[in-house]
Amino acid sequence: MARLTLRYALLAAAIVVLNFTLPRLLPGDPLDADAPQGLNAAASTLTAEARAQLRAYYHLDRPLAGQFLLYLEDLARGDLGWSISKSAPVSQLIGERLPWTLALLLTSLLVAGSGGALLGLLGAWRGGRVDQAVVTLASSLAAIPEFLMAMALLLTLSVGLGWFPLQGGRTVFAPTAEGPFGVLRALADVTWHLALPALTLVLATTTAFVLLARGAVRAVLAEPYLTTARAKGLPERWVALRHAAPNALLPVLTLFGVRVGQVLGGAIVVERVFSVPGLGLFTFEAIRARDYPVLQAVFLLGSLGVLLANLALEIIYRRLEPRHGA
Amino acid sequence: MRKISALLALLALSGACVPPAPSAGPTPTGQASAPMVDLVRLAWADVGVPTPFRVSTAGPGGAVLLTLIYDTLTWKDERGIIPWLATRWEVSPDGRDYTFTLAPGVTWQDGQPLTAEDVAFSFQYYAQHPYRWMNTAIVDSASVVSADQVRVHLKQAYAPFLEDVAGVVPIIPQHVWAKVADPNSYDGPDASIGSGPFKLAEYRSAEGAYRLVANAAYFKGPVTVREFQQLNVPPETRLQAAQQGQVDLVFNTDASVRDVLKDHPNLSVFETPPLSIVRLAINTERPPLDRREARQALAYALDRAQIAQVVTKGPPIVGSAGVVPPETPWFAPGLPSYPYDPDRARALLGGQRYTLELLADPTNREPELMQPMLQAVGITLATKRVDSKTRTQLLREKNFQLGLVQHIGVGGDPDYLRRWYAGEEANDFAQGSVFHDSRYDQLGREQAAMLDPAKRKELVVQMQQILATELPTIVLYHRRVYWVYDRTRVTPMNTWGGLMNGIPLVQNKLIFLRR
Repeated sequence: MARLTLRYALLAAAIVVLNFTLPRLLPGDPLDADAPQGLNAAASTLTAEARAQLRAYYHLDRPLAGQFLLYLEDLARGDLGWSISKSAPVSQLIGERLPWTLALLLTSLLVAGSGGALLGLLGAWRGGRVDQAVVTLASSLAAIPEFLMAMALLLTLSVGLGWFPLQGGRTVFAPTAEGPFGVLRALADVTWHLALPALTLVLATTTAFVLLARGAVRAVLAEPYLTTARAKGLPERWVALRHAAPNALLPVLTLFGVRVGQVLGGAIVVERVFSVPGLGLFTFEAIRARDYPVLQAVFLLGSLGVLLANLALEIIYRRLEPRHGA
Repeated sequence: MRKISALLALLALSGACVPPAPSAGPTPTGQASAPMVDLVRLAWADVGVPTPFRVSTAGPGGAVLLTLIYDTLTWKDERGIIPWLATRWEVSPDGRDYTFTLAPGVTWQDGQPLTAEDVAFSFQYYAQHPYRWMNTAIVDSASVVSADQVRVHLKQAYAPFLEDVAGVVPIIPQHVWAKVADPNSYDGPDASIGSGPFKLAEYRSAEGAYRLVANAAYFKGPVTVREFQQLNVPPETRLQAAQQGQVDLVFNTDASVRDVLKDHPNLSVFETPPLSIVRLAINTERPPLDRREARQALAYALDRAQIAQVVTKGPPIVGSAGVVPPETPWFAPGLPSYPYDPDRARALLGGQRYTLELLADPTNREPELMQPMLQAVGITLATKRVDSKTRTQLLREKNFQLGLVQHIGVGGDPDYLRRWYAGEEANDFAQGSVFHDSRYDQLGREQAAMLDPAKRKELVVQMQQILATELPTIVLYHRRVYWVYDRTRVTPMNTWGGLMNGIPLVQNKLIFLRR
């Protein structure tokens, strides 16, 4: 256990160094003008003096090593820094966006994970045409890039038919009604807004779960304990759900755990296409703006999420499979 | 459709939450007054925390939003500079002292009176903590003369002062900011208190959305819109958002919106003068473009009308070789125009063949159109596509031959012609344009100090003539901005030379006032 902790501590340290270095390797300067608003403001009249003052304010004038020490100092105090492009504390900006990402990604992961596992089980168990249909469906979904799927859904269901909103996570500045009715209405509004981005994510992530569950179930199909179960006269559905599925579930759970870890990284493409105000869109904007403090923080959060999920999985594995710890 | 109506109903309700006004719905009250409107929604982007020290400078959106919350000493309407917080001003003979007389009875949005002290304080404070959108370094000092008079003393005579400084720099309340040592991080509840026609009611940072409500005590009379919202809508869906009735004001640089909305029941299209520019920044220190003939050959080789037509889908406005766009106050007609003439280009190149590298954005369409035109005269165009930040850095480091840039800021006061090539401001796009010409520099200094508008115009025309001959940059075309607006709610207007220092925006605060 001590070795495990040490390994993860070393990994975390490496991640902190990488997260600091990588954004700074990008060409470009956080203080340069950009065109995120759709009009380039070449007339931005920062004087050389004002620019120097801003550089000093954000410590960009110091050598890299000095900046890194300041970053570590801030990190040790739990301070994630100050966003250059948004001019606000990074922790506050992340706090405002995290709920959107969690709602969108966890919901779609739950649907994709359970739906995919069930489909995989169905295909493997039934075999034949059903199996073929499941595999074909899963592979076709995997063949469509996420952004294309998102654009297609947006163009047909939002722009074309107008059934779903064009963008955002909710109706901005909708009047807030008091009481349970108001809460329900707000919830319905958010659901309506997140439906298409969630659907895109479900379609994009289901395949992995389908194929993994199918493979795992097929691997246990010939196991003697299933023959025993059938010999006892148990109905086929019972054999599938109570005997085959639990044994095939471990890899599916692993994948689920890994994906949960990735949730904190946000969904850059989907959040960008549908303008969901989550961490993915935030990361996209920060890359564009070369907003180093934001990039450091979101990368740190994303990688720590993966690290923690892996650590949790390793510990669970040791409980389930003592051989893993040997 | 039902959902959209429901959405509209919700939004209408949200308008009704604002303090009750004398009447609901459109109330035509005679010729001089505009009808009351509950809500106007502008589709744009997140422009940061709306204070003069935290607002985004990545684009003009933040500075423009602030003009609705704050006021300036002077302002502009369709015809020129007009009095605003200052009802009149006197300029000393040497052009270095401006004495402004303030309008009576102006109050801050928290009810405190706006005084001469506040105005002097604003300039003093900006000297310590620069307003990022406008350089106030020209101001030497600001002092109170009397209860309603302020004198601003400049380091030297500066012709653009009234338009570019007095008309742009937000006047801020002393009682809020005097106690703030670091305005870059100040987020007190009074941080967005201005004297403007709208008060900030809510800023949703994650969603990049702003809700402003009318300032009932505005010194210029009643505000005709009860609530103004600026919503964060990505450029790809802005037009659809307007068509679905979710926003009332959006912009576009594609002329085809005029056809798309030709028969729309309540949406119209408003065209601004061509205040946006698409041009080639040229590194004049690197062969072969260090030779004037090579630059002129490049201009003759490009069918710029065709490029403009294909990209903007509208009538082409071929770039003026003098940079200043047509239809704007400082444009010089009759400059050398370099019509499309491949033979002449070949002759100027003297039969030589070249390969030129062009920096462009990943989405620019111009390089594909330029490539065969240049090939025909013996120039092979190698396009290097990079994102805008990378391009800016390469331009600044002079690590380029040609850079395709598009931007605004060319319609207002023409002093930018001097600043671009004086290396005086960290203007990203200007840094890439290197141009050394002593006569041009001399004219630049003279026009900046020339207070007589007619004489100044002559100097600025001469500067444009030098640019048109030497071609340190080649303007491919000028672009209009097409504003889609719901005519039942808002009437856009053109500001003389563009809003503030040349921004092609139509939400001049005058459109929200009775005039």
